[in-house]
Parts: sequence; structure tokens; C-alpha cells
Amino acid sequence: MKEDSAGKNMISLLPPGMQNFFNEAGGMASFAARFFREFLVPPYEFREIIRQSFEIGYRSLPLVGLTSFIIGLVFTLQSRPTLVSFGAEAWLPAMVSVSIVREIGPVIVALICAGKIGSSIGAELGSMKVTEQIDAMEVSGNNPFKFIVVSRIVSTTLMLPVLVMLGDAIALTGAYIAVNIAGGVSPVLFFHQVFQNVSFADVIPSFIKSYFFGFAIGLVGCYKGYNSKKGTEGVGRSANSAVVVGSVLVFILDLIAVQITTFMGLF
Amino acid sequence: MQAELKKYPEKEKSDNGDSIIEISHLQKAFGHNKVLTDFNLVIRKGENVVVLGKSGSGKSVLIKCIVGLLKYDSGSLKVFGNEINTLSNRDLDQLRSRIGFVFQSSALYDSMTVRENLEFSLRRHGKHKTREEVKHLVEETLDDVGLLKAINLMPSELSGGMRKRVGLARSVIMKPEIILYDEPTTGLDPITAREITSLMLDMQAHYNISSVIISHDMFCAQKTADRLTVLIDGTNYADGTFDELSNLDDPQVHAFFEKE
Repeated sequence: MKEDSAGKNMISLLPPGMQNFFNEAGGMASFAARFFREFLVPPYEFREIIRQSFEIGYRSLPLVGLTSFIIGLVFTLQSRPTLVSFGAEAWLPAMVSVSIVREIGPVIVALICAGKIGSSIGAELGSMKVTEQIDAMEVSGNNPFKFIVVSRIVSTTLMLPVLVMLGDAIALTGAYIAVNIAGGVSPVLFFHQVFQNVSFADVIPSFIKSYFFGFAIGLVGCYKGYNSKKGTEGVGRSANSAVVVGSVLVFILDLIAVQITTFMGLF
Repeated sequence: MQAELKKYPEKEKSDNGDSIIEISHLQKAFGHNKVLTDFNLVIRKGENVVVLGKSGSGKSVLIKCIVGLLKYDSGSLKVFGNEINTLSNRDLDQLRSRIGFVFQSSALYDSMTVRENLEFSLRRHGKHKTREEVKHLVEETLDDVGLLKAINLMPSELSGGMRKRVGLARSVIMKPEIILYDEPTTGLDPITAREITSLMLDMQAHYNISSVIISHDMFCAQKTADRLTVLIDGTNYADGTFDELSNLDDPQVHAFFEKE
């Protein structure tokens, strides 16, 4: 109790912007702790998790597919002249595939999902909050946190790695088309070079960090929406800050993941 | 066509202190804004109590404290003998399954159809396990509120009055022992407001439910209340029947009964 008030007193000495930052960080940490508590205790909302996974995963696929395809295509087209000038054109499939699998694929897909899924969760929960739907669930003896928050965070955590894998595959297809535009390369040769240069040490860390990206996007979207205030204006703010904070967290997590994989000597 | 209000016989009230809600010296403040300063109220089984008060007087805060949506600062608030502030989340959920709550905005789950709105709590509380039983109960309850034809509609396709009816149906389907109404007729035209009042009386008689009604609709108050309490300055300023309060020689109370 005394430590609590001492902590609050220390925070009150900081400038208002810093105070808000620490309050938000603390609020989000306690929201995450509640998620783990509720996640582990039955009953489990399997039906809602499947429904949300469909909404989050399947419905995001066209956008993720299109952007990944364009990124693969453009990245290859823009990398080619540089490699040609060094006489290293043959390295193009290897360079493109390692870049896409390790970094570009997960980060681009996560950012797209932070925009699409994060804003949608933030706005939906914010609107449920201001129209008292969350209160209605609570007063009828149901647990809105478990039904609304846990199911969405679990779904984003499970779906993001799937979207990243599909995004990577589509981006590599885009890269193959870009390579083919400049000079005829058979798909067998292109993908042979891709699989020769991409190892499990590239795929596994990228797959694992995608889970963390998905968790962060779901957590931030739910936190912002669930704690939405000030009516419809608050709904807009929730959606907006869900995207901003979610995107920043993706970069921070990516930075941490790179440090860990480098430290472990995987790259 | 105006809705006709049916006359129901006086409900049997227990005089043996069979209280459902006991509130004493309740206090609730938001920062420096003291909303409830010393509120006292006892509601017995089968009783319908209307809480009158101006906008912002703390009526909604009061019923949110009753159902545990807000924690009160001090005083005592017992529902079915349980002190609300001391209950664990699990116990509070158990208690809430005995209480219905009709929101001012209806608060229907807008991603679900009318049927799903009614099924939501039923399925979760496991009171009716078979699909057939749930289906039958949903249809019966919707029929009671005259909205069976709207069973597959989304909330966005319903009018204000229909939403209120569905909100009421969603509360009574759980067979609560008491329903808390937060301004049930606010925002409705006079005819629909009468229909909702009539429906509330129907539900109270049909399911033998007690109720706490937050309202400033005097027609609704007159028809539904066994007793009224006037909330002024965070206290229960005056209590009594509709006739007693309407004849009270107090300008603050009288203001509620003045016709425009």
C-alpha cells in the first residue's frame, strides 16, 4: 500500500505527458495480466474464438495478399539494378527471399493488421462501451472480458502468424514475377534458389515474433476500445490510438526480436 | 391507437421484512462531485419502487451501484442479503443472474440478431441446455412483448420502441426476481411510452417481478409504482405513494408533479 502511494507520488513529479505514458503502460500491463488470468480459467469461448479468427484472419487475407504481392514485386524491381551494377544479379532471389521471410513480410503484415484489425477492434469495443453493451453483458452475469477481450486477443495471436506465412508466399510470388519481367527465369529455378537460401533459422524466429505481433495488436486494440470514454469522440480516439500504439509496439517488438536472434547467433 | 393499461390486482406483499434490497447511508462521489450523500431505501419482495429525480441527480449511479457496476464509497447496499461491495466477481455474477437490467439505450448487442440477443445469457448460464428449449423460450418471451416477427432482425433494423421491448424481453427471459429500469420511456413518443409502461405492468404481473424504476415520466411512475422516492441532493428527500407525494406541500417535490 505504502509502495503504491510512493510510486504514485514519484509519477506525479513527472511532466503530464510522461505521467500519461506511465499510466497507459501500467494500465496496459494490468490489462495483459487480467487477460492471462481470464484466459487460463474455464469456461473457454471456443465458438467466439473461431468466429473472431474468421473475421480477423480470413477477412484480412485480401488486403494482406494484395499488399504483400505489391511489396514483393516492387522490392525486387528496385533491388535488381543495384545488384546488376555489381554483377550479382544471380543473388536476387536469395536476397529478396531472405529479406521477405526474415523482416519485410512479418513487419509489413503486422503493420497492415495493426491498421485494419487494431482499428476495427478499437472502434468496435469503443462503440460497445459507449452504447453500454459491455455493461449489459456484465449485469446479466456474463463476463464481457472473457467473451470480448480474451477471444479477440487469442484470435489475433493465432491468426497473425498464418497471415504472415501466406503474405510471405504471396510476396515471393510477386518477386518471381518481377524477376521474370526483366529476364526469363523458370519458377523451378527461382524457388530452388529461394529454398536453398532460406533456412529454418530464418523462418522460425520470424514465425515466433509474429505471435508476439498478433498479441500486441489484439491487446492494444482491446485495451483502447474497452477503456473508451467520452462518447463517439472517444470511439474515434480509441481506433486511432489502437493503430498508432499497435504499430509502434510492432517496431519495438521487432527490434527486441532482432537483438535476441543476433545474440543467439541465428543470423 | 393508444395502448390500454390493464388493471392488475394488488400484489401480495410480505410484511415480514422480506426485503430484496436494503440501502442505508449510501455515499458515492466522483472526485469532488458528491452524487449520493446519504441515500436510504428498502425494497421488499413484489414491490415496485420508482426513483424520481432531476437529470444528473444520481439516479442512474444508484442503480449501477445496486448491480455492482459502480463501487460505492461508504454506507451499506445489500441485495438479497449480500453486501455488494464485498462480493467476489464470481459471486457478483451469480447474484446478477437474479437481477434484470433494462438500459435507457436498450444496449442490445448490435452484432447479434434479436434471437441471439435473447439466447446469449440463456446459453451461458446453462439454465436451458437443449437447443429446442432455448428456442421455445426465446419465441415465447418475444411473443409476450409482441415482437415474434422481429426475431431474425438486427438491432439496427428496429425502432426505438421495439428496441425497448427487446431489451425488456432480454431481461425477463432470465426470470429475474427484480428488474432495474433506467428511464424506460425516455426518448419515446407518448403512445410508445404508454405501450412500454403497459408492457412493464404485464411483465411484472406475468412473472411476479419486483422493480426499481428510474424515471421522470410521471405517467409511467403513477401506473407502475407502489411507492416513490424522490432523490434530491444525494438523499431520499421524500418517500410515499404517488398520491401522498403529489399532495405534499413541498416546492421541490411538487415540481415533479406539475403539469406543463
